Amino acid sequence: MGTALERDLFRRIQDRVAIVGIGHLPFAKDIGRPIADTAVEAIQLALADAGLAAEDVDGMCMLEMEATHEVSIARRLGVEGLRWWDKISYGGGASCATVMHAAAAIAAGLATTVVCHRARNRGARSARPWSQERVLVKDDKALHTPWGLIRPVDVIGMWAHRHMHDYGTKREHFGNVAIAARRHANRNPQAMMRDRPLDMQTYLDAKVVGFPLHLYDCCLETDGALACVVTSVERARDLPHKPALVHAVAQASGPNPVHLANYNNTPHMETTSVFCARLLWERSELKQKDMGCAQIYDAFTPLVVMGLEDYGFCKRGEGGPFTEGGRLELGGALPVLTSGGGLSEAYVHGFNLILEAVRQIRGTSTNQVPGCKATLVTGASGVATSALVLRGE
Amino acid sequence: MQDEPLHPDYPLPDLDDPIMRPFWEGAREGKLMLQRERATGAVHWPPKPLYWKGGGRLEWFAASGRGEVYSYVVGREPFLPAFRHLLPLIMVLVQLDEGPRLVGYMVGCTQAEMAFGMRVRVVFKRLTDRVTLPVWEPDR
Repeated sequence: MGTALERDLFRRIQDRVAIVGIGHLPFAKDIGRPIADTAVEAIQLALADAGLAAEDVDGMCMLEMEATHEVSIARRLGVEGLRWWDKISYGGGASCATVMHAAAAIAAGLATTVVCHRARNRGARSARPWSQERVLVKDDKALHTPWGLIRPVDVIGMWAHRHMHDYGTKREHFGNVAIAARRHANRNPQAMMRDRPLDMQTYLDAKVVGFPLHLYDCCLETDGALACVVTSVERARDLPHKPALVHAVAQASGPNPVHLANYNNTPHMETTSVFCARLLWERSELKQKDMGCAQIYDAFTPLVVMGLEDYGFCKRGEGGPFTEGGRLELGGALPVLTSGGGLSEAYVHGFNLILEAVRQIRGTSTNQVPGCKATLVTGASGVATSALVLRGE
Repeated sequence: MQDEPLHPDYPLPDLDDPIMRPFWEGAREGKLMLQRERATGAVHWPPKPLYWKGGGRLEWFAASGRGEVYSYVVGREPFLPAFRHLLPLIMVLVQLDEGPRLVGYMVGCTQAEMAFGMRVRVVFKRLTDRVTLPVWEPDR
């Protein structure tokens, strides 16, 4: 990337494809149904929102982890026939990539209307992937799980703790992220934490989960099902909602990648987001200053502090101080996680961040940034990841 | 180091993985094995398969087994049952003197004694007849 030709090629996608429908089931601790079932209903809600029917769908894209079958979902939906489908790896790294792959397929003429979705059940303690890790570990996981480095909080804690050491990042900085997300959730009736306020003292007094990270540094555990509908901008103009145009999108593994414990990629152990951000902003005509808000992947609070640096909203090492003075809250210079995010709305591998970005472009968020013309959505740092810039027309 | 009864759900490495086999075989013999370029001596991690085209330019060698703490985390409950007897577990990212960063855990050291940049050396913890785990202790 970086050459004029490459930028020119990307214009085949840029602003030519849009998200036209969104929908999700109420978030829950125990949704009581399998994801192959909740996925169907979330897609139906998104299609209804788009003013489209199952017959209009000819493509499907989803996350690969805890997979379901495209064909059974298509059958239950009443799709006449799929012409294109895709599954994307790396958990929360895949969220924005679903929209990227759908946009590429539509721009290439392989499909006209694609539904992207994420359905997962992990509200129950026994449903957490790390708790099921046992016996004979293969491939990349053998580089860390035999030493007990398995829980995501510990895998991410390695970056967080080093960041604290290198730059003097404080727990209070992580706390500012948790509190901003919570305040937004308190105004979002759909958020799991809608009626649970959080203050700094409660944040600081919480129990350690994996030092240096504590309870409120960690995202929620949620059963959820969410979907969005992606189609060409020409078709989008005939539909009820203001389209959220796919302006720029990128996917990146970074150098020398490892599935989870990605600690040997560069001399200073940057996260994968650095590489995704570089590609994204090269493709984007809009820049950081044009973003009305940002939905930065927040499985753990330090990912937001580091994400602000990785995506160029501040310099390396300044992510901590950047959180101060209410800057991340509605009314601040850069509101983040305006639905409450994974920390306080629902943790569904960041798919809720995409839906919130669409609401911000439509002007319908419960934490609406006035005049929000564009917004950034990012996937999980650390793993091979993806990111997305949406804009209004 | 002495054996402890191994939890039936302990996540043991797959020793039949041809890429990692020299690492685990070395650990069993009390050696920390790494891979480097024959010509330049450049050390990389994770290892690459020697059977790939051009793999002949790579070789395994016994590393010094010394390095420093690059980062660490301390695990508490809820944790995997296989590791509960080790809690609070100090998981460490060791920057080896040869360059790469390796995941491990600390033995013979409390959380209060941990520090960034602290010198550490490898010790070998036997888990089963076939699996020995390189772990780390302060290099005092």
